[in-house]
Amino acid sequence: MEFRYVGKTFERTDGYAKVTGAAQYVADIKLPRMLHAQILRPELAHARIQSIDTSEAERSEGVYKVITGRDYPILFAAAGFYDQSPLAVDKVRHGGEPVAAVIADTLDHANKALPKIRVVYEPLPVLLDPGEAARNKDVLIHERLGEYRHLGAHFPEPGTNIFHHYRLRKGDIEAGFKEADVSVEGEFEFSLSAHSALEPHGAICRWQGKDRVEIWASTQAPFVLQQTVAEMFGLPHAHVRVHVLYLGGGFGGKSDVTIEPMVVCLARAVPGVAVRYICSRKEVMTSTVLGRGMKARARLGARKDGTFTAFQAELYFSDGAYGDAATHIVTVAGHNCVGPYAIDHCHVDSYGVYTNTPPVGAYRGYGHPEGCFISERLVDMMARKLSLSPLELRRKNFLSEGRKNSLGETIRDHTGDLFKCLEHVEKELFSRPKAGEDERYLYGRGVASMMKSPKGAPNASSCCQIKFCSDGSVHVNLGGIEMGQGAQQAMRQIAAEALCIPPDRVSVFREVDTQHSPWEWQTVASMFTYRGGNAILKTAEKAIRVLKENAATVLRVPADDLDYDGQSVFLKTDPDRKVAVKDLARGYMYENGLTVGEVAEATAGDRIPGYVEPDPKFGMGTAGGTWTFGCQGCELRVDKKSGEVIIDRFISSFDVGRVISPQMIRGQIVGGVVMGIGQTLKEKIEFSEQGKITNATWVRYKMPRISDIPRKQAVIYVETPEKRGPFGARCVAEHPMVAVAPTILNALYDATGRDFFRLPVLPKDILEALQ
Amino acid sequence: MNEWITLTVNAIRRTVSCSAKESLLEILRDQLDLTGAKEGCGYGACGSCTVVVNGQAVKACTLRGKDKLEGIEVLTIEGLADPEGNLHPIQEAFLRAGAVQCGFCTPGFIMRLYALYRNKPDACADEIREALSENLCRCTGYEAIWEAALLAQKMLKEARVT
Repeated sequence: MEFRYVGKTFERTDGYAKVTGAAQYVADIKLPRMLHAQILRPELAHARIQSIDTSEAERSEGVYKVITGRDYPILFAAAGFYDQSPLAVDKVRHGGEPVAAVIADTLDHANKALPKIRVVYEPLPVLLDPGEAARNKDVLIHERLGEYRHLGAHFPEPGTNIFHHYRLRKGDIEAGFKEADVSVEGEFEFSLSAHSALEPHGAICRWQGKDRVEIWASTQAPFVLQQTVAEMFGLPHAHVRVHVLYLGGGFGGKSDVTIEPMVVCLARAVPGVAVRYICSRKEVMTSTVLGRGMKARARLGARKDGTFTAFQAELYFSDGAYGDAATHIVTVAGHNCVGPYAIDHCHVDSYGVYTNTPPVGAYRGYGHPEGCFISERLVDMMARKLSLSPLELRRKNFLSEGRKNSLGETIRDHTGDLFKCLEHVEKELFSRPKAGEDERYLYGRGVASMMKSPKGAPNASSCCQIKFCSDGSVHVNLGGIEMGQGAQQAMRQIAAEALCIPPDRVSVFREVDTQHSPWEWQTVASMFTYRGGNAILKTAEKAIRVLKENAATVLRVPADDLDYDGQSVFLKTDPDRKVAVKDLARGYMYENGLTVGEVAEATAGDRIPGYVEPDPKFGMGTAGGTWTFGCQGCELRVDKKSGEVIIDRFISSFDVGRVISPQMIRGQIVGGVVMGIGQTLKEKIEFSEQGKITNATWVRYKMPRISDIPRKQAVIYVETPEKRGPFGARCVAEHPMVAVAPTILNALYDATGRDFFRLPVLPKDILEALQ
Repeated sequence: MNEWITLTVNAIRRTVSCSAKESLLEILRDQLDLTGAKEGCGYGACGSCTVVVNGQAVKACTLRGKDKLEGIEVLTIEGLADPEGNLHPIQEAFLRAGAVQCGFCTPGFIMRLYALYRNKPDACADEIREALSENLCRCTGYEAIWEAALLAQKMLKEARVT
């Protein structure tokens, strides 16, 4: 198939606005009569609130209102697990939780009033370790866990700190290990880390009376926020309007509903007036959501010939004070930690555990980096034990046509090709001999494989609206959020291709507004190109059908005899008999003004068909839907003196189905790899014993800078078209981050002869291991 | 206690009020509605607020108080394109190289490079890398920003020759 616009690079839709400083983010918005809010946070990570005295703060200069949790004792949920309130009510469960809020005329006045609020706490024991919290039945972070409303896909264990238990039971695990000649096992730890999108979270809210509310927010999920807020106040969903301009990065951290319900409550206290709250960097790190946070034990069994027979794992997630945002991550990590391999007998218990840390939410990869870390380290260990090449061992067990994954889904030829991905990585990585140890450095190479499927609401959809203008140019609206990934640009190229109209005559949405945008579940799970692209194809077909019907009336021929080329609609057998698209866009108007036909506007949506929640008993079912496979490899150096790791080359190969925009897909992959390097070698949220985060600044929380990036990144695409993806495209956005940690750790073993099981691996850990 | 100060922003003289602890970033964003400079951290770690002050790249969130601000000349991202809206070569290079994703760090990186190339048109790779390491980006993995920096240097040199 020849493409005109797909597979080529164009200037981004949002490029000009972003290089000139004109692009607007939530903190750039000014509304008339806008007030400012600041939040009081507790000094303790777990405590009962005995009393709050706000009287002095209320008298402070410029203060309109002081709000506490008792003013709004509402339980809300964005993912179906109703366990949190907008502000703490009677109890604080982590150190960053909002206890009270001041609304004032200026930020300065709000800040001056905060210390005048008097709170008396009764301290409670602090739980930070998920394993310990899971066992502890004396200290319960949520005493009323059994009373919380939740979806059928959540399995809380009341009377404990376990708010969700996912079980995978495939085959017969005992038989599987009996069949095995050898087994390997390990204990794994993945620290909590911070998404650190450059833009802090923020929201502005204004009520119109008591039954309509408008919110401007830095969210990846405006429609979820709409529903959440409407539920909180018993409003028609349609009366909650959410605006999203540009997002300064998301990475999942802005997909969960975090600060917004609080800001909506604050604004309700001052109807008609807008209330603005923008997190400080510290508050983003202590009071929104964190990512990862896993401790696990796992064991892999294989026959002498390398065939995997059994996989068993127990995962404990320190998911923080509230579980709503984490339940699905627990599930997904559970069925993905098996890796992209066909294993008949799998037995996994994955626990979401309450701890006294900020809640864990979606973070690029969504349970997959955690799972992949386990499987890919075990596979390398198994290869050593069996004296097989780690690449051959992978090939022997890879998911491929006709084989079944951990969920019991059958892999088809269009699901993707792991073999080709690995072949590309192998060829690139081993294209030259490895350097031998020298005075300063140890050298190593490693590979890892990955798979990722989306996890979303089973009805998750993307919808599209297409409107032809009277000059034949076109509006294309969708509800996906542009957070840097190039959502708008991908949609423009797909729409241009589908409508045969050059991209410079296609105007795609520049902002999302629940009042005017078509429904989008939320912009997560790397699904927007896939699902939004499909929605465009379906909508374009409908809109073109309207043009054809209009032309059929004018030309007095059946619509099926007509063809369309973006400029005109013409008779297939006689292309000279044609009507220009611009003359058909709003019906066809004859010279005397008589107008016939319909306006060329259309809408349509797309969702993954047949997608379900895993079966409650066995944890299996069509819960993957669409998969992206990939392999990564790296070559690194370890400085023997400093323990520092230098990555010389990093290679990624994903079966992306179809490259829509070469520049943007490379941007996603190269950027994802560097983010993965950060979480592997640098990033870790640290806590004091009392549960206070001790490095909630970008001075102490170290992220990759330009000096930390690989000397060279190679990206090689495999393009096995996905059966129902737009032009064959499949999801790739989170994927580049999924296998980075095991890739580096496998290379570190090659360099040092030491196995690492704890992330991040810091220079001091390496020096310790080398001694 | 607020005082009035006068500074020049994007070639226009402006008089603004300034308290002892008010930062240049707050003045630009809140009083002058120049929101191109962004606040990512508020303490000079991320560089999203980088602007050019008296010819040098400065993190606007760290420059505070009358003594530091009175009479300074500031160039922000809003003043970089020409009056007709034609982009500066550095802006052009960022678009061509694909160095823009979420865009939040973009103005800071561009202003950082503007100051570097203004003072050192022939900056070597190490000098460019050192300048860029002042700023954080979480999207691109820096590869495209690095390419944009090299492309911009080349474009600026060519513009000087012709």
